[in-house]
Amino acid sequence: MTPIAGGVALNLAFGFSILAVITLFLHTRNGDQRLFLTGQRLALGISFFIFLATFILAFQLIQSNFDIDYVARYTSLETPFIYKISALWAGQSGSLLFWLFILSIYTTIVILQNQRKHNSLMPWVIITLVIVQIFFLILTNYVTNPFKPTDADFIVTNGNGLNPLLQNVTMVIHPPMLYLGFVGFSVPFGFAISALINGDTSPLWIQSIRRWALVAWLFLSMGIILGGWWAYRELGWGGYWAWDPVENASFMPWLTATAFIHSIIIQEKKDMLRLWNMSLIIMTFTLCIFGTFLTRSGVMSSVHSFTASSLGPIFLTFVFLIIVVSFGMMYFRRNELKSPRKMESFTSRESGFLFNNMVFVVLCFSVFWGTLFPVISEAVRGTKITVGPPFFNQMNIPIGLILLALTGIGPLLAWRKTGRKSLIRNFTFPILTGLSTATILLFVGFRGYVVISFSLGAFVTATIGTEFARGIYARRKKFDESIIKALIRMVSKNRSRYGGYVVHIGIVFMFVGFTGQAFDDEKEFSLTVGETDHVAGYTFELIQLSEAERANHYAWISDLRVTNKEGKFVTNLHPEKRIYFHNNPDPNRRQPHSELDIYTTMNQDIYSIFSGVDSENGVAFIKIMVNPLVRWVWVGGFILVFGTMVALWPRKD
Amino acid sequence: MNSNKKFFLMITGIIGMVIFWISWVSMNPADEKAMTTFVSVDELINDNINRRTKLGGLVKDGSIAISKTNYLDCTFVLKEGNTELDVKYGRTRPDLFKDGVEVIVTGQYLNGVFYADELQTKCASRYEGDLRNESSYNLNEIDS
Repeated sequence: MTPIAGGVALNLAFGFSILAVITLFLHTRNGDQRLFLTGQRLALGISFFIFLATFILAFQLIQSNFDIDYVARYTSLETPFIYKISALWAGQSGSLLFWLFILSIYTTIVILQNQRKHNSLMPWVIITLVIVQIFFLILTNYVTNPFKPTDADFIVTNGNGLNPLLQNVTMVIHPPMLYLGFVGFSVPFGFAISALINGDTSPLWIQSIRRWALVAWLFLSMGIILGGWWAYRELGWGGYWAWDPVENASFMPWLTATAFIHSIIIQEKKDMLRLWNMSLIIMTFTLCIFGTFLTRSGVMSSVHSFTASSLGPIFLTFVFLIIVVSFGMMYFRRNELKSPRKMESFTSRESGFLFNNMVFVVLCFSVFWGTLFPVISEAVRGTKITVGPPFFNQMNIPIGLILLALTGIGPLLAWRKTGRKSLIRNFTFPILTGLSTATILLFVGFRGYVVISFSLGAFVTATIGTEFARGIYARRKKFDESIIKALIRMVSKNRSRYGGYVVHIGIVFMFVGFTGQAFDDEKEFSLTVGETDHVAGYTFELIQLSEAERANHYAWISDLRVTNKEGKFVTNLHPEKRIYFHNNPDPNRRQPHSELDIYTTMNQDIYSIFSGVDSENGVAFIKIMVNPLVRWVWVGGFILVFGTMVALWPRKD
Repeated sequence: MNSNKKFFLMITGIIGMVIFWISWVSMNPADEKAMTTFVSVDELINDNINRRTKLGGLVKDGSIAISKTNYLDCTFVLKEGNTELDVKYGRTRPDLFKDGVEVIVTGQYLNGVFYADELQTKCASRYEGDLRNESSYNLNEIDS
């Protein structure tokens, strides 16, 4: 009975959405306030039914109702409670419903928040959001329905169970974060479309979406970082980023969104770059939908993707529609989008922002190019080519380093025009810091990108340090405050600026971590108890090899004693080889899984994988990777999140 | 020259550089692993292609042989359609690697053997496949 209610809820949501669009459209024609209220409530009704459908599916997953195909495919009776819930977004149709669920949360918030604000904009904002909902409602109602019953000619007594790789707490958090980010950009997109339709291109609406864009950006950043963290700790290839199509799918909108949250400042403060901002937000939203398409269409083979399905053409049509309608409207409104002011000088903060923006878009394009290169090559030359990480690294490292440099240069430039004197004053210390770092590194024997990256990192840190020091100094001079008090007051007076600087520090940390990859070391070897082997100056001794049967798997547990060059004890590592579903009579259904163990410091990670076991002879096959500076990436991620929070924290006025 | 024109020139210059850079990297990848051509097993054998390539196929049932002296060394037979090819691989095998799975291998073809240095398994059908094929089910036939 209940599963039917889920399907009905989705149907009702679809019906309501059509009505909402019609009512609101009529309101925009004749201005009848009653129609607006009706439309608003219909829109809230859509959200209600989508919430209902989502809760029903979650409930069925918890109840293990295997009469529903989706429940049988992604959970089993043994699946722990938390993963039964996360199964909601583990599969194709469930995750589409989850997309809708988040979009409905956002829509509800936007409607409730703006009941008395933006009266002229709101009807079209709601219409745009509802049209996005309609698209996903069509998919979940008619193409891949999460409430589809299990085929009726046999009874499922136990489900498939969730992939052990996904049975990880990060995997519970990572997809919702990404979705919150992806879907979050629907709201600024809705405002942008509404502003275009209304011809209202004043900076007013920009203010109301700045925070939205920043919130969505924060979620997207967290989603991407958590994805890397999961890959690093779970997948066992020793890295966190592989330039896989699906990773790129989340990275591309992140790049344009990052450009957007920078350039929107210019529009807010100077009313410039109207056209550019409009394009950026449309691009970001399009890339979010395109990313969802890449994950699901089966066009690109990827470890992350769902199986090939019929969704591809539908998604592509939607992406095409968004592009045509949005850019068509931009062309239609090109006069209103002309900014009243012009750039005055190259050495102004405005142009600094503009360059930063261009580099972000360039980076996005190069990622796009690399991602679609196999498809293009197959279409043009007929040869199937795969593009690997070295290609992306070669292409993007220089672009990334230019961005890092701009991170340092931008804040030192003044609005409108920076005079020669202040140029020299502002840049002397940071440039000296960068140059001396480079000299030291070259002297010690480092070469190439490593030197550039670290020196630029030092340069950026110095500029941000100077900014903070200068601000604190000025306040102390004026108000006679203590350093701590001056710092707090200064930051709270201009949260977005100093929060932004903190984010930049986080980025520097991450670049340090990325650069560490240049020194990665790895080795595969076999050990019996008592034997040793050496990697990157460390000695690994197999102390013990034990076995254990646990609730849902069987495990071989190694005990590796790690000592350094001087023979001093470092740590014990316990990577495991596990067999999931080990009680299954069919050996082909048992699934091996390598559980890693990582010893991590700021300096380097010792990453151990138990790749295989020869239990007759007591031989363990171990792969060790020594990855320097990886922790900087995660610490940088934390700093980035903290900085964004500072920027987002509401002012108490 | 007014600043508008200067900016226009600058932006055109940047776009030009970008196009140059992207096409240059696309034409001249620095690393042999940057771009790999996907070929069919038939093509590989018939044309005796010796550069680095990628192949896809199924692991022939019962063909996996693990070396007695080094557990990491293994050989197996890759099947694409009716064509079979011996593959040698000497690194950590993915957890999902077993008989019958779909794999993608990257490496070089020399004297009738494909020396692979990368081995990827396609996600097992377990999580997306037909429920009826799952032996973990008790399929109670409904006879009424």
